[in-house]
Parts: sequence; C-alpha cells; structure tokens
Amino acid sequence: MLDRLNETLDYHALNAMLNLYDADGNIRFEADRMAARQYFLQHVNQNTVFFHSLTEKLGYLVEEGYYEAEVLAQYEQSFLQKIWDAAFAKKFRFPTFLGAFKYYTSYTLKTRDGKRFLERYEDRVVMVALALARGDEGLAMSFMEEILSGRFQPATPTFLNAGKKSRGELISCFLLRIEDNMESIGRAINSSLQLSKRGGGVALMLTNIREAGAPIKGIENQSSGVIPVMKLLEDSFSYANQLGARQGAGAVYLNAHHPDILKFLDTKRENADEKIRIKTLSLGVVIPDVTFELAKRNEPMYLFSPHDVQKVYGVPFSEISVTEKYEEMVEDKRIRKTKINARAFFQTLAEIQFESGYPYIMFEDTVNQMNPVDGRITMSNLCSEILQVAEASEFNDDLSYSKLGTDISCNLGSLNIAKTMDGPDFGASIETAIRALTAVSEMSAIDSVPSIRRGNDESRAIGLGQMNLHGYLAREHVHYGSDEGVEFTSVYFAAVAYHALRASCAMAREKGMTFKGFEKSKYADGSFFEKYVTRDWLPVSETVTQLFDGITLPTRADWEALKADVMAHGLYNRNLQAVPPTGSISYINNSTSSIHPIVSKIEIRKEGKIGRVYYPAAFMNNENLEYYRDAYEIGPEKLIDTYAAATEHVDQGLSLTLFFPAEATTRDINRAQIYAWKKGIKTIYYVRLRQTALEGTEVQGCVSCTL
Amino acid sequence: MKDTVTSPAVPRAINWNRLQDDKDLEVWNRLTVNFWLPEKVPLSNDVQSWATLTDAEKQLTIRVFTGLTLLDTIQNSVGAPAMMPDAQTPHEESVLTNIAFMEAVHARSYSSIFSTLCSTREVDEAFRWSDENPHLQAKAKAVLETYAAGADPLKRKIASVFLESFLFYSGFYLPMYWSSRAKLTNTADLIRLIIRDEAVHGYYIGYKFQRALERESEERKAELKDYAFSLLFELYDIEARYTEELYDGIGLSEEVKAFLHYNANKALQNLGFEALFPPEAAEVNPAILAALSPDSENHDFFSGSGSSYVIGKAVATEDEDWDF
Repeated sequence: MLDRLNETLDYHALNAMLNLYDADGNIRFEADRMAARQYFLQHVNQNTVFFHSLTEKLGYLVEEGYYEAEVLAQYEQSFLQKIWDAAFAKKFRFPTFLGAFKYYTSYTLKTRDGKRFLERYEDRVVMVALALARGDEGLAMSFMEEILSGRFQPATPTFLNAGKKSRGELISCFLLRIEDNMESIGRAINSSLQLSKRGGGVALMLTNIREAGAPIKGIENQSSGVIPVMKLLEDSFSYANQLGARQGAGAVYLNAHHPDILKFLDTKRENADEKIRIKTLSLGVVIPDVTFELAKRNEPMYLFSPHDVQKVYGVPFSEISVTEKYEEMVEDKRIRKTKINARAFFQTLAEIQFESGYPYIMFEDTVNQMNPVDGRITMSNLCSEILQVAEASEFNDDLSYSKLGTDISCNLGSLNIAKTMDGPDFGASIETAIRALTAVSEMSAIDSVPSIRRGNDESRAIGLGQMNLHGYLAREHVHYGSDEGVEFTSVYFAAVAYHALRASCAMAREKGMTFKGFEKSKYADGSFFEKYVTRDWLPVSETVTQLFDGITLPTRADWEALKADVMAHGLYNRNLQAVPPTGSISYINNSTSSIHPIVSKIEIRKEGKIGRVYYPAAFMNNENLEYYRDAYEIGPEKLIDTYAAATEHVDQGLSLTLFFPAEATTRDINRAQIYAWKKGIKTIYYVRLRQTALEGTEVQGCVSCTL
Repeated sequence: MKDTVTSPAVPRAINWNRLQDDKDLEVWNRLTVNFWLPEKVPLSNDVQSWATLTDAEKQLTIRVFTGLTLLDTIQNSVGAPAMMPDAQTPHEESVLTNIAFMEAVHARSYSSIFSTLCSTREVDEAFRWSDENPHLQAKAKAVLETYAAGADPLKRKIASVFLESFLFYSGFYLPMYWSSRAKLTNTADLIRLIIRDEAVHGYYIGYKFQRALERESEERKAELKDYAFSLLFELYDIEARYTEELYDGIGLSEEVKAFLHYNANKALQNLGFEALFPPEAAEVNPAILAALSPDSENHDFFSGSGSSYVIGKAVATEDEDWDF
C-alpha cells in the first residue's frame, strides 16, 4: 500500500511519506523533494505578491512600511540592483520540504493579513546582509555570499527581523540576575516581560533568593522561597509573546546547595500539585565540584541559607565558590543549613529528567576554571550555551537603579561545518561571521533593561556556533564519535577559535577599542594561549588530514603571532563562541542540528506554528545509511567525547543533550553526568528519552519507529 | 443465628514474583511507566490556535471529544471492570484495574481540553448532543450488551478490543488532522498520549483473547470468529454513519473511513484474525498515519511537552560509578 507516488497528493501527505518505507524497505527521499516542489506550485507561487522590478518592489515595501527605509538609504540604487541580481543568480532551492515550509511560515515577510508572501528567500538574505553591513558595500556582498551559500546562518531573531520596519530585537537570548530583595525580583519580572515582548529567551538566576522559611527583617518563617517567584515568572512568559510569533520562554537556575533545591526539582514531577507545578518554565541546576566529591564519598550534602551566607561573607551566595568555602560554611554556626544525601540528590535529578527532560546542569567549577575573562559565572541561559560574567544591580524603592550592574545578552549565528569545509576560504568565512555577529551587538541597545544595555555595550559579546557536524562526517564516511570523528572535531574547533580571535583582534585594532576588562583577562597576560603554543592542534590520522586537504590550519607559530597581536591590541569581543542547539535554522540551512548526532534518520518535528513535519538528515541517501546511526544508538559516551573535544576550544558553552532509551535507569543518567563532568563538559542541556512501541502496537513501516 | 451465611471468597495475596504469564508483567510495566495526567500538557498554548477555527470546526471538535469521552467512560466504569471476573491470572486483574483507571484519566482529559478552550455553553450543548445522537448511542449500546453480566467472557474481550482499537479512531482522526495542519498541536499531544495507552490496551486484551481461544474447541473457535466479524460489521455500519454525520461538513468522510478500515484491520489483527478490508481501502493519508507514532518526536520544549517522557526506573548509583 501507499507505494505509488501520487503527484496529486498534497504536500503534507508527500512529506509524511518520508516516514513510511516503500515496499522494498527504502526511504522515499524523492517524496520529500516532490513535497517541496508541490509546496511551491500549490502554495508559495500562488500566494506571492508579484513585482515587475526591484525598484517597484523596494518602493512598495518601504512606502507601505514593511522595510526600514534607513537600511536601504545607506546604499546606492545601482549597488542594490547589483546585490539583488547576484543573489538571484545563485538559483537557490530548498532541498527539503521542512526547510521551505519553515522559511515561508516563520521567517519570510508577509502582508499584514498574513495571507500573501512579500519576500523570497533571496530577498530575506539580502535584507539581512544590507542591514548588518550598515552601508559597507563590500561587507554587504560578503554577508550575502556567506548566508546564501549556506556557510553562515544568523540565529532566528536576526534572520527573521533584520531590515523589517516593525520587528523584534536581533538578539537571541538574555540572562538576568535576581538578588535577594523585592525590588530586584520586581525589576526582574518587568525585565522578563520587556525582553519577551522583544523576542528573546530569558534566563534568571534564583540562587541568591532566600529560602522558604527564612526570616524577613529578622522575623522567622516569613519567606516563601523560590517557588512563588517561579510561578510569577512562568505566568509572565506565557503572557508576553512576540506578536504571537513565538511563545515567550524562560529558564531559571538554582545552585544545588540552595535549601529549596528539592522543591525546585519537584515542580516538574508528573504528580506535582497544581499550585507548585511548573509547565513551561525551564529549570537549570548549578552544580559545583564539591557535590560530586560528597557523592563519591557517599556523604550528606549541606544546603546553605543564602540569606545567612550573604550576611557572613558580605556578598551574595552566587559570588562565592561553594567548593572552596564548603567546609568553612559547614563549620560556621551563623549559617543555617540542612542536609540531604548527595547520591540521593543526583538520583532525584535523574528521576526528574526522566519525567520531564529537566533540569539543565551547569558544572560551576569547570565553567569558572575555563573562563578566560575576569569575574564569576553563576548561571547559564535557556539553551545552556551562554556562559558570561555579570554584575549585580542595586535598586531604589521606586525600582530605579541605585547602582547599575551588567546583565548578559547574546546574539548567535552558526556555521554549517560541511559548507564551511567546502568553502573557498575557511578563515575568511569565520571572520565574516564574527563581523556579522559583532554588527548585531553594535546595532542593539535594549533601553528597556538598562543592565542588559550596559552589559552589551561594554562586552560586545557574541556567540559563533556550529551545525551539521553529523551530516558532514556522514557525507565523508566517518562515523560520529569514532576516533576520526573526535579528532576532526578537535582540529576544526581549534581552527575556528584561532580565526575568531584573529578577527576580534583585527576589529580591536581597527576601532582602537577593546572590551571592558580586557586587561584583567587571560588573553591580556597571554596565559590563555599557553595550550596553543606548547602543542599542535593539527590532524594526526590519514583520514582527518585528508578532510582538511586544501585548508590552511593554524600552526604553533601562527598561534604565537596571534598571542603577540592580542596582547598588543586586545580583543573587541569579550566572548566569541557558543554552540547553540540550532533548531529551526538548521532546517532552513539543511543541516543536522548543532554538533549533535541526529535524533532519527527521519526526524519528526513538531512546533506550534508548523505542526508535524518530517525531515531527512542532511546528505543522507539509501546508500550511506550506516553513517546515520542516531543519538540513541550512538550512546552518551561518544557524544560526550565529541563535545569534550569541542569544549576545549569554545570560550562559552555548548548545548549538549543526552539521549537514552526509556529502558534506561536513573543510574545510567547519573553515570553519563559523572562522565561528562569528568571529561570537562561545561553544561548539559536536555535529557531526552525514546520509548520503543510495545511489539505489536507500532505503526507499520514507519521509519522513525524502527531501530 | 446459624453460621451458614456463604462466606465471601477471599482472594489470594498477589505475588508478582510468581507469574503465570510474563505478558502480565511486561504490560503492567509499560502501563505504569506510561502513567500521565492531563495537567502535564500545556493545553493553554492552543488557545490562540482554537480561535482560528471556524464555528463549525469548533463544534465538530467538541462533539468528537464528547463522543470519545463517552467511550472512555464506558470502558472505565463498565468494560474493564466487567472483564475482571474473567481474568485468568491475578496479575491480569491488576492490569485491568490500571486500564480502568487510565480510561478515567482519559475521560477526565477531554474535560481539561474543554475547560481550557471552550465556553460552558458550547460544552453543555455538545454533551447534550452526545446524549441524543442515535449513532453514538447505538454503538455504546452494542458494546454494552456484550459487557452485560452473564455474557460470554470471550465475546466481552472481542467487544473490548473493538472499542479500544477501532471505535476510538473516528474521533482520534480529527486532532491528528488538525495537528498535521499546525492546529491544536498541544491537544494532539494529549490525544497521542491517549492513543499510546489505547494501543497497549487493545493489544493486551486481544492477546488475552488469543490465549483463551487456543483452549477452545474448533466449533467454538468458529462461533467466536463469526461473532467477531458480525459485530464488526454492525459496528462498522454505525461508525460509517456516525462518521458521515460528523465529517461530511468539512469533506473528510472518505479519508476518515479509510482510517476506520485501517484500524478495523488492526483490531482484527489484535484478536488474531485476518484483515477484513483490502489494503487499497485502508490507505490512510500518510500525514495522519505518520502522526500516530508518538516516538522520538523532536519538539521545541518551550511550547509543548511532547509525548515521549515516562516515569523512569530509579536505581541507586554504586561506588564504582563515582570512580574519578
């Protein structure tokens, strides 16, 4: 049944055929290509507004208030014609249905009634390039080249919004501190609303909020702890969505040694009471090394009242290293404490991860040891790849700032590893990407949250990510997680780090400016470069050497020269790399997500806006399926090895999801966490489970259901 | 007073370490890890999407769900309890209590959908409709007759498999259809959790039927098979009319019927019988068929909860795990 490909089927049905084998047991890639084609014929082409010329189009879009006139006014008309011609001459086509569908439902400019399309893919790319280049023709051309060729893909907020007149912010992601007072909590809720409205995910740190039952103004048993604050935040995020385009989304981080930690985790229990249940807010736990040591010795772990810690040390709980001060705090009578079993804590963590996928984990000491910048990292973000320092703010009673601190924002964009490796100039691609991301930082000024604005102005922090690692390795017939796969990852990321630093140093020189606090960083004293000038990060095996054939890789001498340059001229960006999970943009870009293994040969993608759609892994065909083992088959160790190789060269974090079959136990999850921590992984994102259908109940002939 | 009152039979304490049928434990484990409550699904994220449906589509959706509520109610309060006295092993009884309870959760879930998306008036109207709809009432009665006290235990199982594996699907079609059109995707997640459960229920009851059938005489086997097919014809007849009444308005009746054929074949397969409908008649729209698989769906976690999380098996770590 279902074997004939029917041209008259609608594109959803054609696309769904990807998930059903044909009679010979082959995956029907051609059905998906046909779905993409039918989507254009049946839907896109019929609903696209037609213009006779570029002049007519741009005139209309500016006049009707769709495009920002200022963006176009920076360029000569003749150049506009030239860049548009160059873009359309590339004859871009979406290779998958999901890529096209996702682009046209979520990114492209539409008429105000949402019914007709005003942009093709090329238009969007050119507008992003023009907006980010801010009048520099050469730069605009190279941004267009890099994006349209698929080598560089800006993150959703940038790609969606740049060049449009009514739009959200270009920045992906925000991180806010909350201090232990009502003003700070109130301000944080307001900031969350403001930032959600403008289109970013927001993470907040709860570690410093006093626990339930702590005294307020010296009266015992007054505080309600972190749970009610989480409830307030959850409701705030569901209220504020970006013109209905994206649901507001938030995460909260709490230190493992906060007294409310178990209540915090229980909010995600399957049978949690409605009053405390947290549905859509994401959770993250900050775990210091000492917690692992305690669990190893099978000792209890003490939880410390943040209120007392602040009184004793004079700084918020988040600013001290629990590992360092642990014994001291245990002995200190002034700090009230409770104890729980450390191993039981890890087991609870894993139980909750089974039920909900949460919490994320940040390994606090690893993160801070590997941080090249002065200051302390106390939290991560909604996707656990942003790791930056922040500074507390203080408030007056009317919520104005008595001391303006800094909070964190990050704009992201990712390179398609396969396309970058295929590209004409590896180093130049990275430099162009760094410049595009820096432009986003320079163009952003979030005045509604002054601490965010100040943080961005002083740091120019960006996050260059990577995607399509699995697709690339499979295309080259290298198994994900094999020795060659890990070796490639290490060499690739070292080279990216080199070029990213080189580009940032070049910008510091051009602009005569470094990020604030450069002189106190490990870049300034050269210690950051130690590991690059004392050993090689070049391919060793025959296979990997061949993969880099034709690409000039940085040698120790190159690193020496860069070290001298950076020490002399500084860096423009405080942070350069962060590897996000890349959902939507990897579909548009025809990549496998991030540097993860694929979740399934045919991925079932569900999102509010697009429904259920099926997506084939990049470069996969019926002949090379053996290189497309999925994350559940590959298992956590190889995945962690691959991430560890990349983590070495990434100044911020990488979203690392762990995958388990539903038959796994909490012990399996704990072992993977211990292994990850041991290997120097900085953060763990989701835990994902796959349950195989009970034999006899599965849908027949379904690709994503078979193992 | 004489001591001759018939004393109630005391059941033997259940020992899960002595199994007569390994399938009981396998299914029990599957059902318990699959435990869920409707509160898990952020249905309110569908409020905007609900508003994009036309009035007719809304009415259809509510009616479909009230129809499903009725079936779940029957299975919870009559079907599963009626099969308990027929159980061959104490463990089978335990599994049936779990099935009964989850059916109550399913019935409860539809009300969660209603309270999130619709007005009280719309819901009351739809429940009134389900009380009065002749086709819905007819299929409820057909099933209930076989559940009645004194009825043949194996016929009860047949009816029960038809209910779990066939009758639900005219209703399940609609949320799957909406989700393939990017509508009510969180509601579809919830329905997929229900489908995940019903698939196991139908499979398990069918399995028990097949084991029992093996012990019957050839004559009796023929009688039961005859019965199964004639009941299916009867139910199919009602179901086809029910489908037309519901789906003619949005022009989906033919597609839903193909889906009914597909599931009728599946129900027969659960009972160990051959398919009734030829493959051409059971060609389901691939978008719906593919939408049925709950496994390995990749969603963005911020707008939904997915249907692949389960309650895990807790195992304490040992010293060797902490070797660093």
